[in-house]
Amino acid sequence: MENNCRILNRIVEINIANVKYTDLELSGNTCFVGTNNFGKTSLQRAILFFYSANSRGLGIAPSQKPFDEHYFRNENSYLIYEIRTEDKPFFVIVYRHNKLVFRFVDAEYSPDYFFNENDEALKMKDIVAGFDKRGTYISNQIDTFERYRNVLYGTETDKQLSKFYLLKGNEKYQNIPKSITNVFLSSKSSIDSRFIKDFIANSLTTENSSIKLEQVERQLRQFNEKYSDIETYLKKETQQLIEFIDRKYDQVHMLKGAQMEMADKLGSSLRYAETQNETIIKASREKEEEIEKLAEGNEEQKTHLEEKQKDIREEIGYYDKSIREANKKLKEYKDKNIDQAVEKNAEREKLQVDLNIARREYESLTSNVQSIEMKYSSLIEQLRNDKTAYVNKINSRTSEIFNHYNELQLLQKNEFNKKDNELKQKREDALTDLNAEVTSKQIEFNELKAEEKVIRNTRFYENEIKAQETELAELRAINYKNKSERAIKTNLVQTNQKEWENLEQKLKTASAHQIQKTNNEIIRIKNEIKAIEEKLNVQHNALYGYLEKNVKDWHTTIGKVVNEDLLFRTDLDPKIIADKAFSLYGVTLKLDDVQIVSKTIEEYQFEKNERNAIIRDLEESLNQFQTSNNEEKMLAADKFGKQLGELKEDLKVLNYSLELADKREKKLILEIEDWKQRASTEIEQSLSGNKQKINIIEEELAILNKKKNNLLNDFNTQFDKLKIFNDERLADLKGRQETEISELEVEKKNQVKEYEEKETKLSSEKESNFKEKGVDSKEIKRIDARIKELQEALKEIEQYSQVVNDYLKDKRDIFDKLPDFIQKKEEYVKTANDLSAELEEIARKYNIKRMELNKQKRAFDEELIEFNNGINYFTKNFRETPVYNKYVDIIERAEPKKTNYSVMDLCTQLLKNDSHFNEEYGAFQRYVNEFAGKFRLENHFNFVIRNDASQGEYERFAQNLRSFINETKIELSIAETATQIGLVTDSIATKVKELSGQKEKIQHIITLIAEDFKKAEFEESKLIEFIKIRLEDSENKVYKLLKRIQEFREENGLVYNEGLFNTDFATHKNKEISNRAVKLLEQLRSAIKEQEQEEIRLQDLFELRFNIKEGMNETGWTHKIDSIGSTGTDILVKAIIYITLLHVFIKESSHRSSTDFKVHCIIDEVGQISAHYLRELLRFAKNRNIMMINGLPNKSGLEAHYKYTYQFRREENNNVRIFPSIVTEVEA
Amino acid sequence: MEDTINFNLPKQTHDIFAVMARGNFISSNGSKDGMNRLYDVINNPENFDRLQAYFNVIRYNIERGNNFFYFSKLGEPNSELEKKLERFERYIDIIDLFASMDNKIGIGSRFRPGEISEECNANVRLKQKLQKIPLYRSETLHNKVREICDLMSRDSFLELEDEKSESYKVLDSYSYLLDIINSVAIYEDNSLGGDDTQGLVYN
Repeated sequence: MENNCRILNRIVEINIANVKYTDLELSGNTCFVGTNNFGKTSLQRAILFFYSANSRGLGIAPSQKPFDEHYFRNENSYLIYEIRTEDKPFFVIVYRHNKLVFRFVDAEYSPDYFFNENDEALKMKDIVAGFDKRGTYISNQIDTFERYRNVLYGTETDKQLSKFYLLKGNEKYQNIPKSITNVFLSSKSSIDSRFIKDFIANSLTTENSSIKLEQVERQLRQFNEKYSDIETYLKKETQQLIEFIDRKYDQVHMLKGAQMEMADKLGSSLRYAETQNETIIKASREKEEEIEKLAEGNEEQKTHLEEKQKDIREEIGYYDKSIREANKKLKEYKDKNIDQAVEKNAEREKLQVDLNIARREYESLTSNVQSIEMKYSSLIEQLRNDKTAYVNKINSRTSEIFNHYNELQLLQKNEFNKKDNELKQKREDALTDLNAEVTSKQIEFNELKAEEKVIRNTRFYENEIKAQETELAELRAINYKNKSERAIKTNLVQTNQKEWENLEQKLKTASAHQIQKTNNEIIRIKNEIKAIEEKLNVQHNALYGYLEKNVKDWHTTIGKVVNEDLLFRTDLDPKIIADKAFSLYGVTLKLDDVQIVSKTIEEYQFEKNERNAIIRDLEESLNQFQTSNNEEKMLAADKFGKQLGELKEDLKVLNYSLELADKREKKLILEIEDWKQRASTEIEQSLSGNKQKINIIEEELAILNKKKNNLLNDFNTQFDKLKIFNDERLADLKGRQETEISELEVEKKNQVKEYEEKETKLSSEKESNFKEKGVDSKEIKRIDARIKELQEALKEIEQYSQVVNDYLKDKRDIFDKLPDFIQKKEEYVKTANDLSAELEEIARKYNIKRMELNKQKRAFDEELIEFNNGINYFTKNFRETPVYNKYVDIIERAEPKKTNYSVMDLCTQLLKNDSHFNEEYGAFQRYVNEFAGKFRLENHFNFVIRNDASQGEYERFAQNLRSFINETKIELSIAETATQIGLVTDSIATKVKELSGQKEKIQHIITLIAEDFKKAEFEESKLIEFIKIRLEDSENKVYKLLKRIQEFREENGLVYNEGLFNTDFATHKNKEISNRAVKLLEQLRSAIKEQEQEEIRLQDLFELRFNIKEGMNETGWTHKIDSIGSTGTDILVKAIIYITLLHVFIKESSHRSSTDFKVHCIIDEVGQISAHYLRELLRFAKNRNIMMINGLPNKSGLEAHYKYTYQFRREENNNVRIFPSIVTEVEA
Repeated sequence: MEDTINFNLPKQTHDIFAVMARGNFISSNGSKDGMNRLYDVINNPENFDRLQAYFNVIRYNIERGNNFFYFSKLGEPNSELEKKLERFERYIDIIDLFASMDNKIGIGSRFRPGEISEECNANVRLKQKLQKIPLYRSETLHNKVREICDLMSRDSFLELEDEKSESYKVLDSYSYLLDIINSVAIYEDNSLGGDDTQGLVYN
């Protein structure tokens, strides 16, 4: 038997580690005896390397030298394994050529191949040359462990190499070296299910088939951080802070803008003030000169006119006086009845003639009685003379009295006139003064009135108002333009938003559709997989299994004619009847050209795998679709978001500028109103001064008029008194004159009567004498009377002749010229009035001009004062402040320009605003800090602000935040996070599925192990009654959660979590699912953290329980068997379990047809096992075609049970020598 | 645990109690030990009522600040209150210092002790303020600031966000200190004659 099977027959070490040369046979149970550190384990590792060809899986500690460096120290270090086969053995050379490489040699090992005549190991090229020379086949260098294993375990396709196999493995052949390795590496004395689990799992899996928790944790952390960032962002308080920041930023921005504008104005005003200083001084001086010139011109003109006026006044006075005097005289003449006098005077000549005629008549009549006549005439004449003398005397007396009184009266009158004149003079003087005062006041009054008129007509602050009105008009025009632009942009925003929404909706629908489609496809394929799995599950008990076990090559016979469904029916009870073998119910068929319809298990497995791959592909393509969908979303968000952001920003700017413009408009309106108000106030102020003056003058005028009236009244009273006194005096004088005259008249009358009586008596005597002499006395009497009458008349005329002569003279000289005087006076008055008007006009014009100039000068002066004050204020109170430093660039670079604001106002306002700005900025900073503080330091939104950040950085933060909002980046982030959760769950689910897919293999292995335990023949020794093993669900918390996530994934398909942060009722279900996902992921994360496990491997997927009964001791179902019995028993049980495991794995992993091989089970340190147990163990192994390689610390008799025993000795040069021990094999 | 079930309390109740019973605050912007989660749990109106009822049984009252919570003790003896006031008093100088910095330290601010000590070194006024803060005997200004930060972290007003860079974050609970400072009225006691005695009144 042994000669016909394949086995590692020999191991040869040439210059390996401390061994110069050793050649050890291994074709039976082998035992290495030697104390520690003599190289037992190294040799065992070398043997293990033959099976595993994995230099890293040999249990070499990281602190130790790696396998290749430790073993292959020299160029000519060789490790040679000879394999015995059914016919001729072959061997493998392992050597180092940069790395470890292999060569297969189709010959039995011979040291001659490797040593020269001096027993020195040859170099590889010499060795190869030697083989070539001998015509022995030596393979090319095999560079990879993988290929070496493929050759060794019979899966190599290269025909030249395919014969160099130890056994024919199937696709799971890797389990064999792994199992052998695992047995070797297990050194614990207690049997822990964990170790068995590890053993099984390690045998079944590769290094990569585990879930790296670090990776999962990283994914979870990334997701969790993003999720928490978004959650923080969406919180009410955070949103509130965003609003605050946005608002404050606007305010701060506006204030800053206003401050900068104001700083620019300040700079402009300052520059302007500096440049305009000289100009203004010059302009002011020019105005002053202009005023002086104007005053001079005016004075000259005024003087000229006044002189003219004076002359005219004199003329008027002259004519007035002449007219007045003429009228006075005329009145006096009229009082004297001048008209009658003149009329009577005109008759004088005629009366004189009449008198002469009468005298001549009388003389002719009295020529006869001349003597009588003479006598009587002389008597009468005498009498008459007496009478006349008397009368004359009386008359003279009367006239004396009359004259006396007249004189008195005249004196009185003179006195009166004198006094009257004096009074009048006094009055005139007083009046003249008063009138002069009144006139000056009146002029002043008129001037003020003219000024008032000018003021009323003056438009104060006209330029300012005009400038403001222009600005307002421009502002309104811009406003109108901005409003229409805003309307257009709002429309654009809406259109874009709609377009975006539509695109999003389209993408969403496409995504949902794709997910649905993929899920349906997956479900369909899963059903197919399920069907295949069902077939595979039942195949053992179905016709298929029967045929597999009992009918060789059935696929080429029955497989061609049977219905597939029939193959997997379990109720057919198939049996082989020898007679009808290879016939169909006795009928033989030629099936060469018939196609096989049945499939091998591998094909089914392949189909299943293929479908799984399709599912993976589908999911992958769905992921890709989702990724591209997201990318499209992102592109859309990028495109639309940016556009919208820009538009919104523009709108904001427009709104802001409209808001500002509105404010400005209101302000301008107010300012215009203010200017107007100021203008009217100015007018009022100017007028009020004017009015005050007018009032004062009016009052003064009233007082003066009153004074004048009083004066006039006073004088009038005086005049009246004077007149009354004069009148009384005159009346008295006249009375006395009249009394005295009447007394004289009475006396005269009596005397005259007496004379007349005497004359009458004489006349009668004369008449009687005439009569007596015959003379017509009557005619004489008549003529006499006529003469008397005429004489009387002439006398009377004579009396007024002087007056009439005077009158006529006056008339000629004065009265006849009166109309000319009046006319001339009127002409002069008119000229005087014209001159006054002209003067008034000149004064008015002068005043206006003067006021205008004064105003202009005052404006210049005020401006200058304001400029100087402003510059002083700026220097003293502003330039040292931080505000100046803040805006120094703007202030110093401003262009000189006139502004509506004073430097002082601007400085004050800037300082005031800056404090307000600081307040607002403080609040803004606080909000930003608070907002950023809500997020993690390394949040994925990059909402981070340093504590010492500059204003610019804070502003950039706010701008970025605004862009973030405008471009709805949160939506992108949510979409990304939602995709991420999908990807994370998917990735976990895939990993878990991949890993847990191997659980079936474990189940299968465990079943086989359990069966093998059952088969074990312990009856003979009765040492161990039974060993039972069973599989339980994993208790690993992380795995449990991973499993739950996988189940969740299976249950809900690919969830792309539309509802991750959505509160929409429509997506309520999605939200619930998302919440569950988030919760699960969070639990997983904390479990990973808590458990501190690096990875989830296959062994974490299940728990193993053992139940062992040794003698009377039964452990019960436990996962750890510390002590079943003695240490020896424990080692035995452990070894039995290992051997079982190894057996099962070898059986499972080798081709059915390959049975003629043996492998080694390397278990170090079996020194504590009893001989009895050892025998039992070796037999147990032998029954399973396993050769044991064990280590013993020293010779104890146990070695007698092994076919080969080798001893180790360290020589003086520190080399180890291994040599066979001479023992007798007891039993093997 | 049983109680937790009876009251239908959130499962974080124990954690909440563990933090707040130590006299510490739970701030919404705290991130260490899931503080923000705890805040969210308390801030949930349903949870709040239940927690309040639950803690009232053991004579604790949950007090709500601006984005933070803390416990007040019902019927606390005066001696305890005095202790609290004493504990608070040292914060007056600290807050004064923080408020006087060029870059004012407020809620959400992130800073390193080194930044503060540097500024104090460069500014005599700040240096004096820092030196004036009692209870600390650190040799260098930097260490003193670190001790202050440490104290404030212990009292849950700050959070050491990044140990490597020694970066601290000011938590929402900081406004508790500011509120108290703002409610302090300074009065002058004239009844004691010429002595310029000043005192504090906590409103």
